Amino acid sequence: MTGRVIVITSGKGGVGKTTTSANIGTALAKSGYKVVLIDTDLGLRNLDLLLGLENRIVYTIVDVIEERCKLRQALVKDKKNPNLSLLAAAQTRDKTAVNADQLKEICDTLKEENDFVLVDCPAGIEQGFQNAVAGASEAIVVTTPEMSAIRDADRIIGLLATKEEITSTKLLLNRVRPNLIKTNEMMSVDDVVGILEIPLVGIIPEDTGIITSTNKGEPIVNDETALAGKAYRNVAERILGEEVPFLNLDEPKGFMAKIKNAFAKLKAKV
Amino acid sequence: MLMEESFVENGFIIDLSNAKDTSQLVHELSSIMEHPDVKGKNLCLKLGSTDLKQSQLLSIKALIETMGASIAFVDTSSEQTEASAVSLGVMISKVKDNENIGSLGISEETTSEEITDKVIEVVADTQMTSPSIETTEGIEDVYDEVSTEELSEIIPSESYNNSDFGALAVHEGLIPTEEASKYIILDTGNVLPEGVEENTIDTKTLPTLYINQTLRSGQTISYEGNILIIGDAHPGSEIIAGGDITVWGILGGIAHAGNCGNITAKVRALKLNAIQLRIAGLYARRNDTLNVPYVQKSNEFTPEEALIEEGKIVIYKKLRRD
Ligand SMILES: Nc1ncnc2c1ncn2[C@@H]1O[C@H](COP(=O)(O)OP(=O)(O)O)[C@@H](O)[C@H]1O
Ligand SMILES: [Mg+2]
Repeated sequence: MTGRVIVITSGKGGVGKTTTSANIGTALAKSGYKVVLIDTDLGLRNLDLLLGLENRIVYTIVDVIEERCKLRQALVKDKKNPNLSLLAAAQTRDKTAVNADQLKEICDTLKEENDFVLVDCPAGIEQGFQNAVAGASEAIVVTTPEMSAIRDADRIIGLLATKEEITSTKLLLNRVRPNLIKTNEMMSVDDVVGILEIPLVGIIPEDTGIITSTNKGEPIVNDETALAGKAYRNVAERILGEEVPFLNLDEPKGFMAKIKNAFAKLKAKV
Repeated sequence: MLMEESFVENGFIIDLSNAKDTSQLVHELSSIMEHPDVKGKNLCLKLGSTDLKQSQLLSIKALIETMGASIAFVDTSSEQTEASAVSLGVMISKVKDNENIGSLGISEETTSEEITDKVIEVVADTQMTSPSIETTEGIEDVYDEVSTEELSEIIPSESYNNSDFGALAVHEGLIPTEEASKYIILDTGNVLPEGVEENTIDTKTLPTLYINQTLRSGQTISYEGNILIIGDAHPGSEIIAGGDITVWGILGGIAHAGNCGNITAKVRALKLNAIQLRIAGLYARRNDTLNVPYVQKSNEFTPEEALIEEGKIVIYKKLRRD
């Protein structure tokens, strides 16, 4: 088996790389694929929290590299889905504990036994980014519809273009708020795609459910009712090569208004 | 492609067969979908003769799934709708008259007002026949028999079996915590490094490092003797001691006592909430059910102590004397 190694990156911090990694990883595993998530954000690890796995981590990627354990020992299995496992970052070390060659070797080993290896990249364009990208052949660039995030994404896309190994770079637009787009307070999806000029793999709405899901250590894709969960499931399907139409985020707004109306009447009658 | 379904689990009929056109159909459906009773239901959609293109049926499906329900099957007399359903893998069937499932729908000449009425009717119905009301009464009955005074006398039942009495005798003034399975041993096996032997050195004979500071995420403290911290140890921090670890505050990170194989080493804290406890070569994780993002500070903490007993890490609480 030769799995696909996909790096999730952004340049800017806090735009949703870790959230995206956890959700796409979970969605792919739920579809029956073997998935390993690698957290390369040394010293600022988060992925374990989002998956609710912090209490199970004994060895980290640094222990693997410094040969205190075997790679297999360091893989923490997900609570719910045995297809999904996590290679955690070391919390008490920094980026210099790892180099690009070592990360590439780990990715190369993991892709032998897995369908997908998803690498959660730290913010920035220095060592951490270079490490995370080293073993990947595909990239998903996460951005929000804000000028600063888009500028950083643009920079990252340029850097990725210089890497021969990266054969596909796709865009995931996060924290989209249709009502702000309508009032011209937020850049539209088309605007962002127009600037960055790479294919879109997903549009994720702003969803407060993501905050609760982070606190619970349960990715939002597991929530069948959440719109952001649905959007992430669609991203996973697109990664698997299916053509899934983009969720029309506007639609709920329209009928929500109608429903509110109906509810107002309902309340009045009760 | 016609299938006979006799019973749909958790099913719900939505009758949209009187919709005049697609847009009315979608409008009615979206009003009905917002009703909380529809969540989690398997919907049987009566679509009548309305022609739905594949894309239209797909967005209806997406709408239903977004609202937390799913389509069990559609009942349609339109060839186009049937074709769309087939290509989307949506089941086609006929709703049988005596089907034992709830239903919502619209009559010949409906206004939104009437739909709302129907919704109320259904809600009222379910409440009348709901068995959950009976259950609640049952519970209340039982509850009445045990007075609250009696309840306060009862010590958690787990502590009444023989082995726990033994434990009580050994650790006078300490009782095991109510959360019997607060820490769960990880299946890493014994993780002592090579060449390190298990030992029972008295930790009182070891020197103690005293730290008057809060440990933050990413910070590590390691010392060959005992460690005493006046402050909290935040999640993401790590304390490694050859002897005992005592945290005069909330312990939220990883604590490793007796890391050179001392199986008598202990971890103590005013609030023991370590994400992992490690003593000698034994590693245990906090039970998932106790994973809360934050522990609120309080003056009411009961100090806790973790130690190895019969190959497990057990937690004792100091008896409060008031
Ligand atoms: N679609 C979204 N809706 C609401 N909040 C989000 C969304 N995506 C991310 N967040 C929040 O944004 C913050 C940063 O996300 P994170 O995935 O940690 O970013 P990064 O890994 O890029 O630094 C988190 O608090 C997360 O809960
Ligand atoms: Mg991150």
